[in-house]
Amino acid sequence: MSILLIGVNHKTAPVEIRERLAFNDEACSDGLRRLVDGDVVREGLIVSTCNRVEILSATANDQLEFGAGRLTQFLDTTGHLPAGFLEKHLYRHTDENAVRHLFRVASSLDSMVVGEPQVLGQVRHAYALAVQAGTAGRIINRLVHHTFRVAKRVRSETGIAANAVSISYMAVELGKKIFDSLKGCTVMLIGAGDMAELSARHLVNAGATRVIIANRTEEAARQIAQEFGGTALPLDYLDQGLAEADVVICSTGASNYVLTEAQVRAARERRRNRPMCFIDISVPRNIDPAVSNIPNVFLFDIDDLESVISSNIREREREAERAELIVQSEVMQFQQTLRLMDVGPSIGAMREKFQDVARAELARQRKRLGPLSKDQETAIESLLFSIVNKISHPVMNQMRRFYETGEPDAAQDPQDPFGLED
Amino acid sequence: MRSLLLAVLAAYLIAAIHSILAFVNKRRSLQRVAQWSTLVGFILHTTVLIADWVIDGHYPLFFLRETLSFLAWALVALYSVVLYRYRAQALGAFTMPLISVLTFIALIINSDSGNAPAAFSTTWLFPIHTTLLIFAYAAFFIVFIASVMYLLQERELKLKTFSAIFYRLPSLSTVNELATAAGGIGLTLLTLGIVTGMIWSLALYGRVWRNDPKEIFALLTWMLYFVLTIYRTTASWRGRRAAWLGVIGFALVLCTFFGARLLPGYHVFG
Repeated sequence: MSILLIGVNHKTAPVEIRERLAFNDEACSDGLRRLVDGDVVREGLIVSTCNRVEILSATANDQLEFGAGRLTQFLDTTGHLPAGFLEKHLYRHTDENAVRHLFRVASSLDSMVVGEPQVLGQVRHAYALAVQAGTAGRIINRLVHHTFRVAKRVRSETGIAANAVSISYMAVELGKKIFDSLKGCTVMLIGAGDMAELSARHLVNAGATRVIIANRTEEAARQIAQEFGGTALPLDYLDQGLAEADVVICSTGASNYVLTEAQVRAARERRRNRPMCFIDISVPRNIDPAVSNIPNVFLFDIDDLESVISSNIREREREAERAELIVQSEVMQFQQTLRLMDVGPSIGAMREKFQDVARAELARQRKRLGPLSKDQETAIESLLFSIVNKISHPVMNQMRRFYETGEPDAAQDPQDPFGLED
Repeated sequence: MRSLLLAVLAAYLIAAIHSILAFVNKRRSLQRVAQWSTLVGFILHTTVLIADWVIDGHYPLFFLRETLSFLAWALVALYSVVLYRYRAQALGAFTMPLISVLTFIALIINSDSGNAPAAFSTTWLFPIHTTLLIFAYAAFFIVFIASVMYLLQERELKLKTFSAIFYRLPSLSTVNELATAAGGIGLTLLTLGIVTGMIWSLALYGRVWRNDPKEIFALLTWMLYFVLTIYRTTASWRGRRAAWLGVIGFALVLCTFFGARLLPGYHVFG
C-alpha cells in the first residue's frame, strides 16, 4: 500500500481557487464515498480549511500513478474546473513525503501563522468525517493517530505556539505575566472598538470575571456590557471604574489623552498599590505615556505590542526549526510501523496455514492411533503445533527483519533462514 | 559517609543540569528527571546527616563542612516546598546549581579536627538555634531569587522588550507572593533563632548580648526583614521596591553568614 496526498494550500493557490475546491461536511462525506472505490483508492480523507484543501489516500503500490490521476480528476470535478487547470497549483506527495506533509500540517508548521492551534482541530474533524463515511482504513487510522501524537509532541516540546502573535491575544499574555491567572481579574474597556472587544473576549475566556465598559455613547457601552454580562459606565465616571480595573484596554477615537498620569496615580493609590496593566491600542494614543513611570503600572501602546509580536513571530520560527527535527524523526518511526503493518498480516496468515496443515495431518492419522486419553490427545496436538512453530519461526523472523530494515522484496524470497550455510 | 555524600552530589548535579535544560527547553520530561533526582538526593542526604549525627556524636551542624552540607539540605527542603506550592519550576535552574556547589564544597573541605567542645553536644539549644538559623538563611535565599526574578521581569515589562528568559520565569504575582511568604517564614525563623541564641548565651555566660559581630549583623538583618515584612503586609510597598530590599537583605545575610566569621568573635560557624 502506498500513501498519496494531493492538495492546494495558501502558498500554492490563490483564495479564488481554494474556495472553489473547499468541501463542507456534507460534500466531504459524499466526496469520500465517491472517491474511495476499494480498488485504486482504498482509503481516503479530506482536509478542507480556509487555507488548504488536501486529499489523503491509500492506494495499491502499483497503482500510484493511476490513483494520483483519480484524485486530481476528483478535485477538477469538485471545483468544476477544466482538466489540467489545477496542474500548477497542486502539490503531490507520496509515502514518506506525504506522511511528513501531514505531520507538518497538523503540527501547524505549514500554516500561515506558524503555531496556530486551529489546524489540529480541523484535521481531527476531517478524520471524524472520514471515519463516518467509512473511508478511513488500516493505513489512515494508523497515520492519523500517529499525526495527533506528533502534533501533541511538537506543541509540548517546542515553543512553537508559546507566545502571542496577535494584538488581541497579547492582552491575555501580558495579563497572565502580571497577575499569573486572570481568574477574578476585572477588565475595563475604554472605548468600544472591535479590537478592544476581541481582546476582552480573550481575557474573559482566560478567566477574567468582570468587564467594565466606559464609552462616550452610553448606548454602545450598554450593548457590549450586555454581551459580557458587564457594567456600562459613562466616561465622566471613568475614575471610579479605574480603581477596580486590573487590565485596561483603551481604544477611543479621541485626539487627546483620555487618561492622565494623575488619574492613574490616584487609581493605583486607591487599589493599594496593586499592579495595573494598560493596553492602549488607539492612534493617536489615548493614555499619557508618562503613566509608564508609575511603579507597578505597566503601559503598552500599539507600537510596543507590534514589536513584541514581531519578536514572538521570530521566536516561533526558531522553534519551528526544532519542530522540524521532531517531525523528521517521527516520519522515520512511522515508516517503520508501516513496514511492520505490511508484514504483520502475512506472517499471521502463514502461521495459520502451517497450523492448518498440522491439524489436517493429525485428523488423517487419528484413526490409526486408537483410543487415547484426553491428556494424550492434547499432548499430540501441542507436539505438532510446537514443531510447526519452531520450524517456521526463523523464516518469519527473517521476514520481519527484512521489513524492518526496509527490504520487503528480500522478504518474499527467504534465503537460508535456518543458517544451514555456515 | 563521604561516599554517600558523593552520591548525593551526583543526584543534585543531575537535578541541576536537568533543571537548567528544562528551563531552556521547557520540556516536562526533563523537569521530571530533575524532580526525581532531587528527591533521591534529598533522601540520601537526610541519611547522611542522620548517620553523621549518630557516628560523630554531635549534631551535624558544627564544622564548616557540616554547615554547608546542612544548608544545602535545608535549601533542597525549601525548594521542594516552593515547587509543590507554587509550581515555580524555574526556581530549580537557580537553586539546584547552588545546592550542588555547596554539597561539593562540603565534600572536598576537611575541617573536622577532633570533636566539638562539650558545650555544643550537651545543650539541646545548640541544634535548635543553628537549625532555625540555617532554615532562615535558606528562606532568605528564596526571597533573593524571587526578588531577582521579579526585578528582571519588571524591567523587561517597563522596557517592553522581552528576552527569552522572560517567558520562562513565573509571573510577577507569583514571585511577589513567593517572596512575601518566604520573607515571613525567614523572619519568624530568624527571630526564634536569635531568641534561642540569647537563652543559650544567658545559660552559658549569664549575658544575653555580647556585641559579637555576628550578633550585630544578625540584628541588622532582622531589622531589614522586619521592615520588609511590615511594608509588604501593609501593602504600601509592593513589587519593585520590596524586591530591591529582598536583594539587599540577602547581601546582609551573606555578611552574617560568612563575613562575621572573618571578624573576631566567639561565634563559631553555624
